[in-house]
Amino acid sequence: MSTTISHEAPAPIAAPPPPELAPLEINYLNHSYGIWSWLLTVDHKRIGILYLVSISAFFIIGGAAAGLVRVNLLSPTGAIMTEDQYNRMFTAHGVVMLFLFLIPAVPAVFGNFFIPMIIGAKDLAFPKLNLASWYVFMIGAGLAIWAVLAGGIDTGWTLYPPYSSRSSQSNVIPGVVGVFITGFSSIMTGLNIMVTIHKMRAPGMTWGRLPLFGWALYATSLIQLLGTPVIAITLTLLAVERAAGVGIFDPALGGDPVLFQHLFWFYSHPAVYIMIVPGMGVVSEVLTCFSRKNIFGYKAIAWSSMGIAVVGFMLWAHHMFVAGISFYSALLFSFLSMLVAVPSAIKVFNWTATLYRGSITFQAPMLFSLGFVVLFVIGGLTGLFLATLGTDIHLHDTYFVVAHFHFVMVGGMVLGYFAALHYWWPKMTGRMYSDWWSRVTASIIIVGFFLTFVPQFVMGYHGLPRRYPNYPAEFQIYHVMSTAGSSILGLGYLLPCFYLTLSLFFGQKATANPWSATGLEWQTPSPPPVFNFDTTPVVVCGPYEYAIGVDQMGRGLPEAPGASDNPASRHGQTAAPGPMHKETEVVG
Amino acid sequence: MNSLLPFIPERASTLADMFEPLFWYITITTSVAGLLVYAAMIYFCVRYRRGATTGSTPRILGSERLEITWTIIPTIIFFTYYAWGVVVFTHAAHAPKDAMEVYVIGKQWMWKAQYPNGQRVIIGGNPRNMSESERQSIGRLVIPVNRPTHVILTSEDVIHDFGVPAFRNKIDVIPQRYTHVWYNPNKIGEYHIYCDQYCGTWHSLMVGKIAVVGEQEFDDFLRGGRSLQGSDHPVDGSLASEGRQLFLKLQCIMCHTGTKDAKAPVLEGLFGSKVNLKGGGAEIADEAYIKESILKPRAKVVEGWEAIMPSYEGQVTAEDINALTEFIRSLKRGTTPDGTSHFPPPVGAPTERPPTLTSPGVKK
Repeated sequence: MSTTISHEAPAPIAAPPPPELAPLEINYLNHSYGIWSWLLTVDHKRIGILYLVSISAFFIIGGAAAGLVRVNLLSPTGAIMTEDQYNRMFTAHGVVMLFLFLIPAVPAVFGNFFIPMIIGAKDLAFPKLNLASWYVFMIGAGLAIWAVLAGGIDTGWTLYPPYSSRSSQSNVIPGVVGVFITGFSSIMTGLNIMVTIHKMRAPGMTWGRLPLFGWALYATSLIQLLGTPVIAITLTLLAVERAAGVGIFDPALGGDPVLFQHLFWFYSHPAVYIMIVPGMGVVSEVLTCFSRKNIFGYKAIAWSSMGIAVVGFMLWAHHMFVAGISFYSALLFSFLSMLVAVPSAIKVFNWTATLYRGSITFQAPMLFSLGFVVLFVIGGLTGLFLATLGTDIHLHDTYFVVAHFHFVMVGGMVLGYFAALHYWWPKMTGRMYSDWWSRVTASIIIVGFFLTFVPQFVMGYHGLPRRYPNYPAEFQIYHVMSTAGSSILGLGYLLPCFYLTLSLFFGQKATANPWSATGLEWQTPSPPPVFNFDTTPVVVCGPYEYAIGVDQMGRGLPEAPGASDNPASRHGQTAAPGPMHKETEVVG
Repeated sequence: MNSLLPFIPERASTLADMFEPLFWYITITTSVAGLLVYAAMIYFCVRYRRGATTGSTPRILGSERLEITWTIIPTIIFFTYYAWGVVVFTHAAHAPKDAMEVYVIGKQWMWKAQYPNGQRVIIGGNPRNMSESERQSIGRLVIPVNRPTHVILTSEDVIHDFGVPAFRNKIDVIPQRYTHVWYNPNKIGEYHIYCDQYCGTWHSLMVGKIAVVGEQEFDDFLRGGRSLQGSDHPVDGSLASEGRQLFLKLQCIMCHTGTKDAKAPVLEGLFGSKVNLKGGGAEIADEAYIKESILKPRAKVVEGWEAIMPSYEGQVTAEDINALTEFIRSLKRGTTPDGTSHFPPPVGAPTERPPTLTSPGVKK
């Protein structure tokens, strides 16, 4: 490390050392080259990059579909598309964004890349299974993408029969099979991460010292493992009914359409926690790092992730309050839905309390994380309107629901994804991106997001149903506002494509620990070597000892960005003071 | 482009009046909670920004007391939402017994209504999908003000949803099942009906109008502009009389004779009663039960009878089943038609869906 260089050099050196002298560090990116070194890699980091590239492409496809949907809604009779085209377009947006972006986004990219690194392991427990998961994902995704682009699917992502099994004249079966296949990839990733967290933690990395990102991914993996088989069965039954006319869901064939909704939401409600819980894990990492604080309520946050994962399985029928379920089951599921709001509230309060008496800087990861909390608060609180029976019977299936879940999924999860991308980008690529552009982008995305989705709450409150290309003229002004906002949001999404790509070629080289963070992933060069750590790290303390200024191996932290007076700044030398150098303060 | 929507959407039913206080209670409490969090975040972000601190931070790990506080308080608040929501939902879910009943059938892509007196209206949809006669009869779902109306819904094809924002209520409309919604409108006017469950190409055109009218206007609507026929013999164009004709035409009468030597159970007084089923269990004979018994007679066989009834799947439309249901509902002791009176030809009486009826409040 360059620990001593900065302090010498008043005397001019006669001949500057030739640049070749610096030994080329071997890392996971440059130890081998060629397409096959990527396509046949079993390195979790390269597989993470493969996922990153793939899902970025799917995000662009899904985003383009969203853009076309929004443009079409400029006019009350459809500005650019026929009804059939519109129906295919919003389905494409939903299917691609949910199954091909949100579900794999954080677990498959950042979980893959960083779970072994935050626990001090060489790789995931099953590296070949990991590679297989990417291939399975790409096969399923390829089929689903083909289905939505060539011919399209017009059922909505929820695929309710008997419409999807009998009426729809579209590519339902290829789409369903594609989603079915990607489910296996989700199970493989979940299994891999869960086993890795159980079995491969470095010495000293007890459960109580596991970074909260690890807890979040563990909870997510639990949902993936238990929930995904149910959607696989459901989609198989749907495909069988559609292809062979076997009566399962279609009442004309003796089936039960409401059964499908039960099965579908038994997975798809927990699936929203597959999407949001990893984002919560990211936020816990970033907020602590950029406020230089221990996380407030480590156990509360860790257990609330597990609580969400478990309780999340018990409230699927709140999607069906108006689907003709019995009065008493509606009472029960409304009650259980209230319970799941509690752990989310606990997390928000703890994150806020973490900022208290911090030393806060506002780099892009922090802005995205703060944005996550701000938008997730709205997304979560508006969920209460939908969990409450008396209000849901009006708001159900309206734009209120659309706005609500976009606040959670986009405001929450996509911002969490961007926070993770910006936080870990220097580690993944070894390059720093433009600080100014990334901050501007975070601001644009947050503002654009508000402008896009707040008008939709108003439309939903006034009863405008979702999935309507034709709508009464009194709603037009709100749709125009929403579309205007979405163009700002779209710009925000495009900017990272430029400055992150540019950073690969022109970015300043990242140090091992550019954010002065405590996690093990930062205690190895950027980009990491092939096996992550030269020697197995030994963990001596909890994950967020920013106040004391030591990482999880008990060594001092480098100077935090923007801090000249940080007492903990010791330029990466092993710190003299161990833990407990600072008194723990009690508040509250 | 229009001006902004009103701050509070139009309210036109007792449920809407119950919905708004709950909605605003949740809105205000969640806003206060959210703004408190935001205020704390903003304050901390400004007060503890790097430039305003020494860079040294305290080691604070948490506070059990605070954790307990902010677990319990939100839980309590959430359960007030739950409890209030249950009150509103209970009101919405239970139609009064004396409500006027209207059948509504959803199909791709239109809504059709059948009144007890046989009056039929297409209450909206995409005209391009309709036959010429259907297009002619596009109208509104007319219901009386300040009187409860119980809407019984079913679908002929896929799942739809019958939503009336001004009444703050909606319900999915499911093929081969009946679902229920009821309104007690308290404001005269014309309101949107939307299909809220995605149902295919013209989903967004499966919209209609519901008209809340005064008592007199409602009577005129039912009368269809013609004078009353003045008979309570069921050959009067009512839904029940139509069902009676179907009952004879479909040969139901051959077995359900109502006599001692009948091959099938007596249907008189059946509606709403409890039926013991073969193999144990019992069922209330409601619309759904009757529909299932017509379409899938072997699914639930009455205790003491053999499963000999054939399925009428494909032979009867959703409207036919509604008519048969109304007929069975109207059957009182001793009123089962004589088995020999096939196709009674009441001279001068309309036989095909005449827009006439007996009396305004015709029931049963």
